[in-house]
Amino acid sequence: MTELDNLTEAIVRGDRKEAVRLTQERIDAGDEPKNILAALVKGMDIVGDKFQRQEAWVPEMLIASRAMSQSLALLEPLLVAAGIKPEFTAVVGTVEGDLHDIGKNLVAMMWRGANFHVIDLGTNVPSDKFVEAAREHNADVVGLSALLTTTMPAMKATIEKFREANLPNTKVVIGGAPITMEFAREIGADGFAPDAASAVGLVRELVGKA
Amino acid sequence: MRTNRLTGRERVNRFLRRQPHDSIPRAESAWAETIERWKNEGFGGDLAQYLGQDFHGLCWCDPRSHPGQFLLVAEDDKTRTYRDEWNNTVRYWKHRSGTPEHVAFSCQTPEDWHADHKPRLLAAGPFVNPDASKLDLAQARRNGRWAHLTGLEPFESTRRQMGDEVTLMAMMEEPEWVDDVARTFTDLTLRDFELLEASGLEFDGVWIYGDMAYRGGPMCSPAKYRELVWPQHKRLADWAHSRGVPFIYHTDGDVNSVMDLYVEAGFDAVQPLEAKAFMDVRQLAPKYGDRLSLFGNIDVMVMATNDRERIEEEVVTKLQAGMATHGYAYHSDHSVPPSVSWETYKFIVDLVDAHGNYES
Repeated sequence: MTELDNLTEAIVRGDRKEAVRLTQERIDAGDEPKNILAALVKGMDIVGDKFQRQEAWVPEMLIASRAMSQSLALLEPLLVAAGIKPEFTAVVGTVEGDLHDIGKNLVAMMWRGANFHVIDLGTNVPSDKFVEAAREHNADVVGLSALLTTTMPAMKATIEKFREANLPNTKVVIGGAPITMEFAREIGADGFAPDAASAVGLVRELVGKA
Repeated sequence: MRTNRLTGRERVNRFLRRQPHDSIPRAESAWAETIERWKNEGFGGDLAQYLGQDFHGLCWCDPRSHPGQFLLVAEDDKTRTYRDEWNNTVRYWKHRSGTPEHVAFSCQTPEDWHADHKPRLLAAGPFVNPDASKLDLAQARRNGRWAHLTGLEPFESTRRQMGDEVTLMAMMEEPEWVDDVARTFTDLTLRDFELLEASGLEFDGVWIYGDMAYRGGPMCSPAKYRELVWPQHKRLADWAHSRGVPFIYHTDGDVNSVMDLYVEAGFDAVQPLEAKAFMDVRQLAPKYGDRLSLFGNIDVMVMATNDRERIEEEVVTKLQAGMATHGYAYHSDHSVPPSVSWETYKFIVDLVDAHGNYES
């Protein structure tokens, strides 16, 4: 088992102190930043897979994600200096009329953990704001979240705005407690994720870099 | 036509013990906007009376570290932001119902808990009012309804005090802290229930609310639930049983993986069995119906289609499955949304009237 394997394991366990220590150790040892990053992302991918198999739960995902983000903070200056960019740019928010944020926050965490650049617009986000942010940041993907049946129509309105705005390189994906694949198809979303972990694979598949 | 040989109180007691009764008990929850829509479509305004509701709450025991605090800290044209009774910052809609956004939580560390929130909680309360509960009891008795003590369960209280992220991470990293918080909230709830009891208040059961799951499953693993929350759930159920009354537990979300633990804790019923979270009384009744009563599960998403054929299939098949063990009560699987018309809702009640009788 290599030192980078140990780093991956520390992320899987959600052991942030060990993950940060090992990240710093690998930086000091002169490892390539891209290799350290790959070890961190691999750890989050393992946690995501375990989550989908119900071998890990939201608490395990949260501590792994925190370990990842604290490790990544050490690595980021080196990644920037080496010209290594995040895998995707993603905009995320809860649609207009809905103030719930835990589902959206979990997706944002998982996307950050997978080395996406995430712009979190918060809750109660009007359709136009999603479109503006996607255009401004040249987003690969926009994630719309809704918890309430009463706010699901705002997803359809937002997708219509995206069609009007003609941003062919931006995929719009949706998720939330009342959302189904059937609803996603009905309103013309590019994709649907039943949970935060699935949202990572969904983007990789949709944007074609899986 | 509903068969009404028994009072609601008698009917619910039999439903919770899975003993023969006349017709299934009923309760309902609807969003404020739904009631407004229905009023515009001819509804008289009293849903409990229209439905023939069989349950009546006597109190809402919800321990808070800063009771009475509701400080306005920001306002815009659509929302108001307050520092609330847990000393958290929350944003509410001005002209719309729904749960608030939690902007910030004030109890973020064990130090916050031990230095401030716990001492405040222990010094606060009671969170119930015996005189008000006695008025409710009189009303419940007049209407023949099952009168229950109601409150928030400790996992929900812990989340409200600390927020989801801190609570869930602390379950992994600082379990003794979560155990202390959950135990403290349970202590306070039981203290207040005992205060009501000492005042001479009669009650027919205990109904505890908290959402420990979402569509993807419980918020934590069944093992963590068993370690940190279940002991408090069992204390609440045991308390009810020690008084000779049943215990109902409310949670949204997919709790299929912890149903065995609910049985082990001695719960008498689980409600509302959220259909979109893969809870299905047609599968649950054969598996648990002899040990646990099932309450709800009529899918609001199906209701919202306003498609009578789909709704009839939903209501009739679920009633048939639940009634097989005499352990089923009607409730939607969540709150009825405003996309359900009054005509549709009347149709649903007609179906419950027609298919919810054990006796003709």
